[in-house]
Amino acid sequence: MEKSLISLGERTNCSSWNYCGQRLATGSIDGTLSIFDSPEPDSSAFTCTSKSKVHEASVEKVIWVPPEYGDAVACICTDGTFSLWEEVEEDGQSLKWKLCKCFERTAAVVLDLQFGISISNLRMVVAYSDGHVKVYELLDPLELNKWQLQAEFQNVIDSISGFQKPSCLSASISWSHQRSESFQSSFVLGFNSDLPQFNSSKVWEFDEAHQRWLPVAELALPGDKGDQVYAVAWAPNIGRPYEIVAVATNKGIAIWHLGLNPDTDGRLSVDKVALLSGHEDEVWQMEWDMSGMTLATTGSDGVVRLWQSNLNGVWHEQATLESTP
Amino acid sequence: MPGRVPDPGNALVPFTPEVRDPVVYTIHHGLRRPVSRLSISWSRGNCLRVSVLCQHDNISESCGDASGNSNEEIGGKVVEVKLSSEHGEIDDAHNRMIAYGSVSPFAHLQSRKNYVSMLSKMPMPSSSYHVDWLEHVMEYSKDINSLLGNPKLPPSSGIEDPKTVLKMVEEPTSLKAAWELMEIFYVDKQRQSWLPERLVDWLAGYDSLLLGTESTTVHSKLVDLQRELVNLQATEDNPKYWEGISSALAVGWLEIVVKLLRLHGSYQLDQLGNREAENGLVEAIAVLVSKMPLMRPELRDGSLGECYKTKPDFVKAWEKWRGQITKLDCSGFWVMCDHHPTKEGLKNMLQIMLGNVSGLNSATGHWMELFISHLLYVRPFNMGLEGMYNLAQKCMQSKQMFKNDSLMGLFLGILGENTEVVLAECSRAFGPWMVAHSIELLTAGNNQAEILLHEERYNLGGISMEELYRLVYAQILSSHALTSQIAPIYLASCSKQGMVLLEILLYKQAVQHNQTLLKNLEICRLYGLESISSDIMKIAGMYHWKHGRKGCGVFWLQQAQDEIRLNRIAHQLFDFVGKSISDESFKRWEGLIELLGSETRTAGGLEFLHKYRDFKKSLQQIQGGKVTDATRQAVDSLMLLMKNPSTPQRFWLPLLHDSLKLISWPGRPLLNVAQTNVLLIKLQGLSFARLQPNFSEVDLPPHALSSVRLALATNLGRAILEE
Repeated sequence: MEKSLISLGERTNCSSWNYCGQRLATGSIDGTLSIFDSPEPDSSAFTCTSKSKVHEASVEKVIWVPPEYGDAVACICTDGTFSLWEEVEEDGQSLKWKLCKCFERTAAVVLDLQFGISISNLRMVVAYSDGHVKVYELLDPLELNKWQLQAEFQNVIDSISGFQKPSCLSASISWSHQRSESFQSSFVLGFNSDLPQFNSSKVWEFDEAHQRWLPVAELALPGDKGDQVYAVAWAPNIGRPYEIVAVATNKGIAIWHLGLNPDTDGRLSVDKVALLSGHEDEVWQMEWDMSGMTLATTGSDGVVRLWQSNLNGVWHEQATLESTP
Repeated sequence: MPGRVPDPGNALVPFTPEVRDPVVYTIHHGLRRPVSRLSISWSRGNCLRVSVLCQHDNISESCGDASGNSNEEIGGKVVEVKLSSEHGEIDDAHNRMIAYGSVSPFAHLQSRKNYVSMLSKMPMPSSSYHVDWLEHVMEYSKDINSLLGNPKLPPSSGIEDPKTVLKMVEEPTSLKAAWELMEIFYVDKQRQSWLPERLVDWLAGYDSLLLGTESTTVHSKLVDLQRELVNLQATEDNPKYWEGISSALAVGWLEIVVKLLRLHGSYQLDQLGNREAENGLVEAIAVLVSKMPLMRPELRDGSLGECYKTKPDFVKAWEKWRGQITKLDCSGFWVMCDHHPTKEGLKNMLQIMLGNVSGLNSATGHWMELFISHLLYVRPFNMGLEGMYNLAQKCMQSKQMFKNDSLMGLFLGILGENTEVVLAECSRAFGPWMVAHSIELLTAGNNQAEILLHEERYNLGGISMEELYRLVYAQILSSHALTSQIAPIYLASCSKQGMVLLEILLYKQAVQHNQTLLKNLEICRLYGLESISSDIMKIAGMYHWKHGRKGCGVFWLQQAQDEIRLNRIAHQLFDFVGKSISDESFKRWEGLIELLGSETRTAGGLEFLHKYRDFKKSLQQIQGGKVTDATRQAVDSLMLLMKNPSTPQRFWLPLLHDSLKLISWPGRPLLNVAQTNVLLIKLQGLSFARLQPNFSEVDLPPHALSSVRLALATNLGRAILEE
């Protein structure tokens, strides 16, 4: 039933597929970025076409840049730095992965980073270990080295909490998939930290009129706001009258419905429709399929689980994938 | 409030929120070391890719060998898991054949549906619409049915082995059996009055599929018998012979019964004399069997029985036939029959034909066979679905069979008039293809099912069940390269969410291969998906631009009408201004300007670039010290550029530096006093501008400015003298 596609090199630490599933980027603990390609469309034979040393420290996460901006990835390293690498051909030389931008090291460590496309712009949200969030904007769509810091804020709703300094172990960001012009760009973000008010997942939306980011929804019930968030995933919406966001905390995986239209205070209605338990401990990753009907999750129990809603809207575990040698 | 987890008692669908245990898949990654992490990613459709990463060994012991690729240990595996529940009895290639074949009947029916719904909006009498519609669906059903396998009855050949009672044909599939069941009950309303006979035919085709449950079937019994017949001399002495005959009779396979009877030993020429009475009885029954009245419009080719189309005719014939059986049962000839097994066997046949329940029970194996035998001999007159459902329950009880396979589950769902059960069985046993296509059968002329399947539900994200099942099927189609091209046809029939899913699907296609790119753009054009089409072209443009195929990149960005990127490209072209560039790269640069230039609305700077290109070109054409047209052209271009306000100031010096050989032309000066003055004023402006803090220095030799100034001054002097 399963088909083996690639054997990964030793010390591989993370992997990520590009938009069309024909390139895989992996990062290793010795700071190498490897790219695997399949020469033919729809072929399942992949070979390593590039290996570049991107950093001294281990690569923790590789994230692809949206394809409208070329073939490029962001690498987050354990020492808290991150850099952008792209594949280009310059001056008649052969194709090469080269560094476009290395973001300077700060006191805080980068935990997660995700790209989102607004109407005509590429935005990058970066979450740091001190609970700060930075939003960068690309100035030139042809050059991935020209970024501008557009906003910096903390994942809290009231400003008083912002004076505290949390220490965060992990963060998870997921952009909304809406790309039409009538929708503002928004993302959801949650932390796993030692300060409860930073943890709960909040939906941030860009207020075009005042050029600022506003929290428009909080995806946690009053008693659960301090729960550590392991992962968030915003489902693609192919036409539902509500958005679906999955939030994994130490209590399980919650499925949230998010209203499309804000109330008078600008807040979106939220409704927790399910709490799924299965992964006993930490949830590592959550991925929605392309229709937003099936959620795939992995966790520290080493199992992949697939979740679906039945015809009555009841969410349940539809399949389990166990790995064996 | 909508969206809350529904109370099962108050659910929209009166269907228990059946939550089955999750299906367990096992991924064999073949890695020796313990796994440290799994990473997942959805590929197209319902393919999931799982990266299995190993725990790292102690780094210090292996870090000495950084280059040893060959003996590098495997640190992880990436596997792809296909999560489809396609029907297991059909191989992939056949599945794809069915998928391809069903596109055109499906699309045809959809377009008819659209036409009908358009007509129904007009003020027109639509009494005949219902009948017509069923005919359309019937045509659709027949088309699909023909894809699922060959006709179950082979053409009868002229010469037949008399001992071949059971013709071996292609193994029937339960998918086809299920489709036909649904066709019989939901679409073929015209022949509804002959329903029992249609079920008899159905069983004749698919009885072998009922095997695998706890009992033997009539089919398996006859297969055994067939094997033995070849070696058997006195067939009538073998109890299996009689068992086979009565079983075949019980389920109405009359031709087989008669054929088997004619193998009776009493027909042999040497026996005929002394077994006359016995033979007479055998023949009498063979004749009775072959004259059995059947309520059906026509007989299958080569089959026996007498058919009656209407109920009164049938009832009359039935009474008469039964009378003949009773008469034979009481006949005096039985005393003269010495052969005991024959007498027993024939008497048993009479009991079956008279509808003796225990006789039927022992002659049949599976409950479905018992059910059919009841329809044939106990209750030969039509009964409603409810009656059939009760009968089926009774048959299951008397056969002690309570576990049902997918086919029987579907059958019971149909008899129980429970659309949800039918759908659930179709989905569970036969997969998304079946559900997506059989919905057309379910809703044909059935208002209740139509409401159920067409009602838009909040729980499903505002779509109907029909649309949901089509989306699910399209997603499965999209997971395979060979079937992904037909997914758009199904998505197009999903009015609410199909197009957005199609957009996502198209966005996820690779752009580097031109052929697939063009195919995808054609799909965009067909369905009017302009925005995604422009996204795809943007991606293609950037891909080529970044990968060194600049011209191709510009072409696709122009197709995408991506003003922002095109402007940026135009600005990048400025970088060439004033640089001494090789012929080769000048050609490339010129080509790009040419490409960009066809779009007049882009960047105002393009006007400058065009003039600069003309200037540069004529400059290159200048040879030796002779004044030619090219020289004059170059001077004109230079002047045009320098006078034009759209020429950026930062290019003044590069331009003048480029023109040094014009300014300091050997022999007579090329620029007159006025022209030289213009250039000197510009140079003066430039000198002032250099004092400004935000002035950006151009990448030119340090003495560029002074050498230009010197050349201009010299030229001015010479021009004054000339004039």
